[in-house]
Amino acid sequence: MSEVSEDNQAAGNEEKVLESSITVDNLSLYYGDKQALSNISMSIAKKQVTAFIGPSGCGKSTLLRCFNRMNDLIDDVHITGSIEFDNIDIHDERVDVAELRRKIGMVFQRPNPFPKSIYENVAYGLRIQGEDSKAVLDERVEWALQSAALWDEVKDRLRDSALGLSGGQQQRLVIARAVAIKPSVLLLDEPASALDPISTLKIEELIHQLKDDYTIAIVTHNMQQAARVSDLTAFLYLGELVEFNETDTIFRNPSERRTEDYITGRYG
Amino acid sequence: MHRHISEQYELELSHIRDSLMEMGGLVEQQVMNACTALIEHDSALAEQVRELESRLNQFEISLDDQCVSIIAKRQPTASDLRRVVSVMKVITDLERIGDEADRIAKMAIRLTGTEMPSHQYSDFREMQKDVILMLHQSLDAFARLDTEGAIRVIRSDEDIDNAYNALIRRCTEAMRDNSEEVEAAVSVMWAGRALERIGDHAKNIGEYVIYQVKGTDVRHGADSNAEPDAD
Repeated sequence: MSEVSEDNQAAGNEEKVLESSITVDNLSLYYGDKQALSNISMSIAKKQVTAFIGPSGCGKSTLLRCFNRMNDLIDDVHITGSIEFDNIDIHDERVDVAELRRKIGMVFQRPNPFPKSIYENVAYGLRIQGEDSKAVLDERVEWALQSAALWDEVKDRLRDSALGLSGGQQQRLVIARAVAIKPSVLLLDEPASALDPISTLKIEELIHQLKDDYTIAIVTHNMQQAARVSDLTAFLYLGELVEFNETDTIFRNPSERRTEDYITGRYG
Repeated sequence: MHRHISEQYELELSHIRDSLMEMGGLVEQQVMNACTALIEHDSALAEQVRELESRLNQFEISLDDQCVSIIAKRQPTASDLRRVVSVMKVITDLERIGDEADRIAKMAIRLTGTEMPSHQYSDFREMQKDVILMLHQSLDAFARLDTEGAIRVIRSDEDIDNAYNALIRRCTEAMRDNSEEVEAAVSVMWAGRALERIGDHAKNIGEYVIYQVKGTDVRHGADSNAEPDAD
């Protein structure tokens, strides 16, 4: 089967060489004695959308949280192997974790706006970086809200509480907040699973637009969403990376039986 | 292959395959009857073929509709996607084979008024046997997802083409030698042409078997290395 995909690549004239943003090498992660990730090696390509799919508990969120060291916040986590971001080992003691998380932003399943105004939510990251020029903040807030496709809906009520927005708007606000500090990578952990179908499509459309400027990694339970939004798809099962390939290949002709069974809805 | 978690989806997928096989069986019968009608100057049988043609059209409409519905509701992926896509392609080929059978039936009706020729349609007789076998094998390969069988079907298309060329040659000679046979020879040539087209459609069906099983497109000589290995 691998021969076949090579043939297909050779036949396609748009063969692209992808530059790596995050490189994972032989990564294993344990919660206490329990191994949650086993020997994962892969790379997250720059300015592409990489989707992580797999059944609950397969380790996809855990893996995503490794990329900006969110697992540091959990007790009793032990990691072996390495993760490089822009060719630097993120576990190196010289790495400033706050700075790492500024460059690798994260958005969670439930929108979590601060109980502040729409404006202050987006300006928050810049303010804690010490930015206090109103002109700079105004400009960046508008830019971030535009990027998150929310500007038109909120421009006349920037001083209203963010908590008055709908779920879908709140999620786009959180994305605007993440984008405002100009990260290089966005990690999206089930960003649309708490949203209605139309809001979900808006988020998917947004992901598609953000890809021009950001590297995006998304965890999703929704396989069709992975098929719609991503360029590359990784299928994880029981902490193992079963298959990682172009999304087109994964959904049309996967090489692994376990991938096939999962995406076609045959997992018992 | 495991079963789908959704039993209904499983049923829908097996239903389109069953209906397709039913349509395939009817098409085979149509081709056989049309050829027999021609060889035996049996106009009643030919009329029957012409009447049944509308049933094939109904099959086509209903099966297409079922496939579209599965795509809309289930968003099939991987082998399921390839199955639905290849069923849709095969429907079209079967419908066209039905049209060719109808064409042969028309020629059969035209020939019933003429005298039985001395050669007793020997070339056509041989060719129709091979084409009917090829069609049968292509449907068999589709039902069993048998890529080896599909490859044999694809390869046998060349024999059909050769048989067709021989039939044309013989008809041309007959027309040259005996002007009274011109009309009959032209009809046989048309019927031979229809058989040759049926062979092409059977070959297409063989190609969709390979696409469905292996995910490779072998049409138009693309990826000729993708012939089945032992998996």
